[in-house]
Amino acid sequence: MTQRNLLAIRHLEVDQIEELIDLGQELKKRVNESKALPDMSGLVMGMLFFENSTRTRVSFEQAAHYLRMKSANFGQAGSSMSKGETLKDTILTLRYERLNGLVIRHSASGAPMLAAEYFGGPVLNAGDGQHEHPTQALGDAVTILERKGQIKGLKVAIVGDVLHSRVARSNAWLLHKLGAKVNFVGPRTLMPAHSGMLPGDVFFELEDGIEDADVVMCLRLQKERMNGTMISSIGEYAKMYQINKQTLRWAAPGCLVMHPGPLNRGIELDDHAADGEQSVITSQVENGVFVRMAALYWCFGGGRKKNSSEASTSTAKSTRTTKAKPKGKAKA
Amino acid sequence: MSILLKNGRILDPAQNLDIIGNVLIDMDQVVDMGPEAMDDLADEVYDCTGMWICPGLVDPHVHLREPGQEHKETIVSGTQAAAAGGFTTICTMPNTDPPLDNPALIDFILDKAASPEAGGVFVAPVGALTRGNKAEQLSDLAALKRAGVVAASDEGAPVQNSALMMKAMEMCLQLDMPIMAHCEDASLSKDGHMNEGSMSAMLGVKGIPRSAEDIAVMRNCILAMQTGCQLHIMRVSTWGTVELIRLAKHLGTPVTCEVSPHHFILTDEMVKEFDPHYKITPPLRTQIDVDIIIQALQDGTIDCIATDHSPHASYEVQAPFDEAPFGIVGLETVVGLTLTHLTHKGLLSPLNTIEKLSTNPARILRLDAGTLKPGETPIAQVTVINPDLEWTFDVNKTFSKSKNTPFDGHKMKGKAMLTFCGGEIYRDSQFEGSRYRSVM
Repeated sequence: MTQRNLLAIRHLEVDQIEELIDLGQELKKRVNESKALPDMSGLVMGMLFFENSTRTRVSFEQAAHYLRMKSANFGQAGSSMSKGETLKDTILTLRYERLNGLVIRHSASGAPMLAAEYFGGPVLNAGDGQHEHPTQALGDAVTILERKGQIKGLKVAIVGDVLHSRVARSNAWLLHKLGAKVNFVGPRTLMPAHSGMLPGDVFFELEDGIEDADVVMCLRLQKERMNGTMISSIGEYAKMYQINKQTLRWAAPGCLVMHPGPLNRGIELDDHAADGEQSVITSQVENGVFVRMAALYWCFGGGRKKNSSEASTSTAKSTRTTKAKPKGKAKA
Repeated sequence: MSILLKNGRILDPAQNLDIIGNVLIDMDQVVDMGPEAMDDLADEVYDCTGMWICPGLVDPHVHLREPGQEHKETIVSGTQAAAAGGFTTICTMPNTDPPLDNPALIDFILDKAASPEAGGVFVAPVGALTRGNKAEQLSDLAALKRAGVVAASDEGAPVQNSALMMKAMEMCLQLDMPIMAHCEDASLSKDGHMNEGSMSAMLGVKGIPRSAEDIAVMRNCILAMQTGCQLHIMRVSTWGTVELIRLAKHLGTPVTCEVSPHHFILTDEMVKEFDPHYKITPPLRTQIDVDIIIQALQDGTIDCIATDHSPHASYEVQAPFDEAPFGIVGLETVVGLTLTHLTHKGLLSPLNTIEKLSTNPARILRLDAGTLKPGETPIAQVTVINPDLEWTFDVNKTFSKSKNTPFDGHKMKGKAMLTFCGGEIYRDSQFEGSRYRSVM
């Protein structure tokens, strides 16, 4: 059974992204209809969260629960890393403690790549620095598909602190690869100075950026950055970039409002946008569980077909054994 | 014992000499050179046919890490690596632990470098410009000069305060001592890990803009122009720095500069999947910067090539990119890299190559080195380079204690085969007739 990593959407081929989305949708259906799910009992996932996170961690734990996997939690506080151990040695320790896989969140961009190198796989990136958050993008894609039926041809505006956002990067790669047009919208101070290698156009005016958009994805503003050199004030940001009843008129009718959470209500969006009919924020959270089930299943060798470009997505060596036997129950 | 280096291409930019001939070393001195046969005068003869016989290479910018970080490098291991790389004189940087800010530490460095187990190369210490290398208060620069430093530097702790830098320059002018400047505006580079550009945007890594270097270079050039202090800009990495130094030189500023091989070979695109072996300060820039740096080497704006040999233990490098330290080792690859990427491509002549690797750094730092002329150096400093030897760098065979380099497995053409500093201190195993591969 081939094991593989899920480190970044940027590394994935289109058919791999589609496979993960299909799997997520199928697993959601099975959960909702109380149908049989892949049985991955006997596998233990290490949950390494070196940054504060509640929703992503709980979402992965819930996904593991549905698949009958056990999860073992590790955090930086109180762990060997707080005693000065290197990430490499922590990863090696977990490998030889016979954990079957790792879900890792880390403040350093690229840390999951290092973990994959020394753990041997499967390793799932649950958010690394300002780089990527692949399962967030997959959950968002399922949500868009549920409401819009397709991704190809949509115009998606990603609004806010693009510079520091791993959610923005993963979503942009996924949406671009599946045929959507991506607009990045935000103040110059929160936009990469050189965006040429990112798959989207850059807009500094909200109206220009979200004009006729089918989806508006708000990004969370990190308040601690707001009053430094990044932007003059929260109030000014809200005045310029808030998604609300007024500004949503610039977007296409029926435009979806998304947010990866946690919300800064009244800053990135107002009550109308956050709670109104166009908001799909709670669906994003829910779908996050199902795509994380899909990701776990996919990384442990499930799925409908052999990976067409495994080398680009995985450094996993198939030297480790696993009891995962989903028996092909999940259609894709 | 007398040694004859026979039938080599003698390259000595200090004498504008590029001839085929012989060099005779006797009693630790170059005693004669020229096309005439001198076989009967020598106890030992080395056939240098097809090779270059050059003044010993001089590296103005090396981190020997001792005292304080001996797990990365020591004076012994670093000088052995230097000898293997063809160097006979290296300048060691002051950002050790503790920093080289007092005469006792300079004595320690010089004693260690002169010990029998060391590599036999001259070590020229560079003193800390500021006390504790904290960029707050000037060191006792006169005492450091008396103890033997050849320059003062804020390496590792770039002086942000312009008034302090001006005072440092005034003091160094009075002491007739150059300042080697680490040019970095910390407010712009803070928390950055690679060049600010398309690649950093894609990878989500905080970038270091070119302006962080350019602004500091411009300020330091302005202060040097005002004070008259001799300023040496370390590690040029941007096209903007090149243009600013060119302008400063045009205006008569006493400024010189260096570039490291990685900055004329590699770009930020090579960081790709967060490989810490490409994490260097200043960061690897873009192809435009590389192209303009090479032009500046050709036209003389960039005076010399320095390795910025920066050893780090493997466990320090095997870390997430954001957490890995900056810098790579370079003493044993500089000849191969320079010849492969510049000389053999016709971008630098052989004489200019040696000028950048030996004559100019010696001149800038007023070292007794950088020429083959008899009597010009206290003892003979000679390097024999085989410019056509094709080889692959194997980091496991390095003399350095550290192996942090992106050039492991890199194919090169050109290698230092013999290094003399008084006596023979290194002979490569690939040298024909070699009895051993050794460092004294």
